[in-house]
Amino acid sequence: MFHCVRGSNSNTRTFPDTAIVEPHASHHSNRVEDFRLITGTGKYAADWNLPGQLYAWFVRSDRAHAEIVSLKVERALKHLGVKRVFTGEDAVRAGYTKFFVIVNYPGRGGQPIKKPARPSLAAGRVRHVGDAVAMVIADSAAAAQDAAELVEVEYRDLPAVVSVEEALAPGAPQLHDDVPGNLPFDYESGNEEAVKAAFQNAAHVTKLRLEVSRVAPSPLELRACMVQYEPKDESYHVYVCIQGINMMRKQLSFATDVPEDKLVIHAQDVGGSFGQRSAAYPEYCMLMLASKELGKPVKWVSTRSEGFMSDTHGRANTIQGELALDRDGKFLGLRLDWIADMGGYLSATGSASHTRNPSACMTGVYRIPALYGRFRLAFTNTVPVAAYRGAGRPDIAYVIERLVSQAAAELKMDAAELRRRNFIPREAFPYKTPTGSTYENADLRGVLEKALKVADWKGFAKRRAQSQKKGKLRGIGISTVIENTGAGLFPKDQITLECSADGTVTAYTVAQSSGQGHETTFAMVVADTLGLPLERVRLRESVQSKGLIGNHTGGSRSLVGAGSVCKLAAQKLIDQGRSLAAQELQVEPSQVEYAHGAFQARGSKKKIGLAELAKKQPLSVMAEATVGSTFPNGCHVAEVEIEPETGTTRVVSYNAVDDAGNVVNHAVVEGQVHGAVTQGAGQIFCEKVVYDRDTGQLLTGSFMDYCMPRAGLLRAINVEDHPLPSANNALGAKGVGESGCTASLAALANAVVDALRPLGAQHLDMPLTPAKLWHAIQSAKKGKN
Amino acid sequence: MYALNYVRPKSLAEAAKFLASHPEAKLLAGGMTLVPTLKQRLARHSHLVDIAQLRELRGIEVKDGKLAIGAATRHHDVAISAAVKKAIPALAELAGLIGDPQVRNLGTLGGSVANNDPAADYPAAVLGLSATVVTTKREIAADDFFRGMFATALEEGEIIKRIVFPVPKRAAYAKFHHPASGYAMAGVFVVVTAQGVRVAVTGAGPGVFRWKAAETALAKSLKPAALDGAALKVDDFNEDIHVDRAYRANLVRVMAKRAVAKLAARGR
Amino acid sequence: MAKVEIKVNGVRHARNVEDRTLLANFLREELGLTGTHVGCDTSQCGCCTVHVNGRAVKSCSMLAIQANGAEVLTIEGLAKNGKLHPVQRAFSECHGLQCGFCTPGMIMATVGLLKDQPNPTEEEIIHGLEGNLCRCTGYINIVKAVKRSAKLLRGGKR
Repeated sequence: MFHCVRGSNSNTRTFPDTAIVEPHASHHSNRVEDFRLITGTGKYAADWNLPGQLYAWFVRSDRAHAEIVSLKVERALKHLGVKRVFTGEDAVRAGYTKFFVIVNYPGRGGQPIKKPARPSLAAGRVRHVGDAVAMVIADSAAAAQDAAELVEVEYRDLPAVVSVEEALAPGAPQLHDDVPGNLPFDYESGNEEAVKAAFQNAAHVTKLRLEVSRVAPSPLELRACMVQYEPKDESYHVYVCIQGINMMRKQLSFATDVPEDKLVIHAQDVGGSFGQRSAAYPEYCMLMLASKELGKPVKWVSTRSEGFMSDTHGRANTIQGELALDRDGKFLGLRLDWIADMGGYLSATGSASHTRNPSACMTGVYRIPALYGRFRLAFTNTVPVAAYRGAGRPDIAYVIERLVSQAAAELKMDAAELRRRNFIPREAFPYKTPTGSTYENADLRGVLEKALKVADWKGFAKRRAQSQKKGKLRGIGISTVIENTGAGLFPKDQITLECSADGTVTAYTVAQSSGQGHETTFAMVVADTLGLPLERVRLRESVQSKGLIGNHTGGSRSLVGAGSVCKLAAQKLIDQGRSLAAQELQVEPSQVEYAHGAFQARGSKKKIGLAELAKKQPLSVMAEATVGSTFPNGCHVAEVEIEPETGTTRVVSYNAVDDAGNVVNHAVVEGQVHGAVTQGAGQIFCEKVVYDRDTGQLLTGSFMDYCMPRAGLLRAINVEDHPLPSANNALGAKGVGESGCTASLAALANAVVDALRPLGAQHLDMPLTPAKLWHAIQSAKKGKN
Repeated sequence: MYALNYVRPKSLAEAAKFLASHPEAKLLAGGMTLVPTLKQRLARHSHLVDIAQLRELRGIEVKDGKLAIGAATRHHDVAISAAVKKAIPALAELAGLIGDPQVRNLGTLGGSVANNDPAADYPAAVLGLSATVVTTKREIAADDFFRGMFATALEEGEIIKRIVFPVPKRAAYAKFHHPASGYAMAGVFVVVTAQGVRVAVTGAGPGVFRWKAAETALAKSLKPAALDGAALKVDDFNEDIHVDRAYRANLVRVMAKRAVAKLAARGR
Repeated sequence: MAKVEIKVNGVRHARNVEDRTLLANFLREELGLTGTHVGCDTSQCGCCTVHVNGRAVKSCSMLAIQANGAEVLTIEGLAKNGKLHPVQRAFSECHGLQCGFCTPGMIMATVGLLKDQPNPTEEEIIHGLEGNLCRCTGYINIVKAVKRSAKLLRGGKR
């Protein structure tokens, strides 16, 4: 029978006796966490309940930009079951007006970023549709929602601005009084003069204006949070979807001034994150206040429609890019004028994602002597923008790789050859880029050639001709990319490893999985190092009582950071066990050998197992490491076929060759690439958040209008590993969570543009919908006639 | 969802009586549009009168060259019905293209037709096949039934009992899905009968409509190319964030051609 | 208030709930069966898929009272006698899940799909999954899992 643990804050893995017959056979990929997830016994944020809990419902602005003239709560308070209604005044009274923003570096001319106030409920003014103005607490969710309609808000509309170019223009509506021109940060990177000189000497300049559209990250779990205030020790227990407990605590503490050690974060399963779940959203702070003031646990579960107007959005960058080349197609310089839409407020991550991250990889995989980028952030009357899978890296890769393929087309060169000619050669690594990154290593040529081979690059002309016979337009696109994985907000990553008396080894981490499969991969690292079967090792995430320092899951860094420290911890456990075993076996520690869970005196049969040792004395170690960035890289080749009469695109093949360093679990890596490439394909072919230009109303407010990728968008993705180990961590791993997004945007867009090029069509901005392609085909035809 | 009361009458007569005495009540069949609408608080009703399980509204029958389908018949049951597949295979195919499997397991023919969503599939079949809508009060010809966006000839308290489709010589449906919602961005139902050709279009305009120029063109030559010159009035076509009129018009023509091409493959 | 009696996973439950209570909320809140997830409010994502009288439906688009007297099967009731259902096994074996949030709905939709089409083509699988969204896997391994499920259900070896 099953013994599924419910209602406990534990990751206890209780397999049925007979259910999964071969839990870890090599040809299967059964992950450790799978059992509870396929049986419906996982525990996501909305699945937590506490006795006596109350329910919150947020009243949200239906205006893009307005002054709150009055806000009356009397009628709502009289509604049956309502306990309290909180407003912006309560947020201000509690001092909840700050919002954590990670940028701490200066911009142009040494100017710091301007961080305007952001009360946990809007006070005085709303700045986007969905800005929360009141929170109703009642004894049922339905009663809270019913009463929310009785909250009377009188607004005075202000002009709204939703496009960054208009927001930065003179005379634009101003969102924050202390941020003139809607420009909170003006950042630059590289050498402007050197680039100017490079362009003067150029034989050819390729220019593109590119939009990396605003998308809704949309993890399928709805955002949810429950807070229980504990008066005994003045602590707050917060049950919430997160990417890591430390990041959440730090931000909540910043916004509420509650000391970090009074914040206890609880999470077991997280239903996708993609950067959107790292923030301490204002709602969570209000739930803290409500629980404290009402003395009861308070629970809130968002709806999807609410999520579209209150969960952070991603990307939303507008870029003018220019690439200068010499007569032989050698790159001389790259210049970018980048405007990042921040929405109505600064999110925790968005400002860094769209300044420092793209600037770190601004040279791409190429030796470009002169680089200059100016990055301006702009406030608009839209939902705040934050990190979304790749956090600026897909954006910069898209810019560079579109420019390079466009240049190849303009110069009538093979797109792969132009790349080959400009790659940073293998012997030039470690390579210090003009914008200050040091790429550790990469075999760019090797990755490219492998990709061209598996994609049969040479055979494309023949396939194009075959498509043409069927009346279809065929195109091929390539992108070669590199990215810096996140170095993390915290200075190091720690892992605690314990061996219990029954021989079970438990690893503790503060990095929270939201689908990445840490419980399998990290446990494999420990099991492999200790020579134990995987069943004897388990991972527990987000256990705050261990007091570990460490980063959240984000920036493709978990395996590289916490995962590699698992190996160090296992080695340390062996060392600790060896000393203890030496005493037990009465030999010198140097005479003790370890293998497969047991210590043995050299040249003797005297032996003691980990479990026996743990029975005598607790075995417990803590290991740590500071792991900086790794530089995963890869080459993706996409091939598409377009049906001219409807403009429908079919991706006929997709090949991904990735250097993710040493691979611990290929199935998991492949899954990450599948998912990220498909998110990239979603952005290229259908996803886009749209606001009405005049009113600032959100036009894509549900999955009825916001087009999510469905089964069949990509039929197959061929994933090939091309590992060049990293020396910066004990596993030799590089991050992989985001690389699929980083490479796919450009590979797919290049393929579509390539398909249309013979007709004379030029660059098209994403999303490349059937209607957009059909129009492009029509106007190209007209142009020819 | 606003608070409401649910009632499940035992007969059609009881349902009609209840509706007559409760002006704020609303019929509930499959609920595939109604329930999400209520959840979003876009509508408010005192009562939901659930008629989905009434036997009088169920059943599929072929008699005298006519296919009768009970109003509460689920899309899935139409899609897999051997009788429908034999009589009007295009109708079974259309039913199998509505929404998604879960929607087809609950959604009903009568519910879809009464709602008359401008992008719903069934209205194209009902109009194209010149079906008759049989209600608790009368019989309404398809040409008189649909009155534009979400509007029909149904009066207050009038309930659709069944829809009777004359079995045509041949029929075919081609649909271009809306990428997000799955509704028809353009759906064209082409029917050949002894009387001529009928072409019904959904998804493009404010409601299902007959494309008469196409009917005339196809009467002369039942080939896709015949549609090339057929005039299409697009002034009232839907424009939204996804597509404009010109593209929708193109889709209508392409889907119509595909439906005509399918006719050729359909033996009878 | 309405008295709702439903047999869920073989066990009869009776509760007094508001008429407007959705089946999904009834399962999650009244019965504590939180394996049925809610991921949207417009009937698109399919996370809430359960079987009512043997047919896959979206439990967020149905009132609990509509299912009065019905038999409901949820993800929690799929495994029988300590053995995982072949579809559950296939999803795990093919790495057809990552975060797991869409998984119960995907599995219930797949069980429904294979009831109608025991040996579906890839096209039929894609068509059969139109009512379910996944944000993590890119669907490729999900389609594989459905194919493998079909094989396991037909009694085939891998």
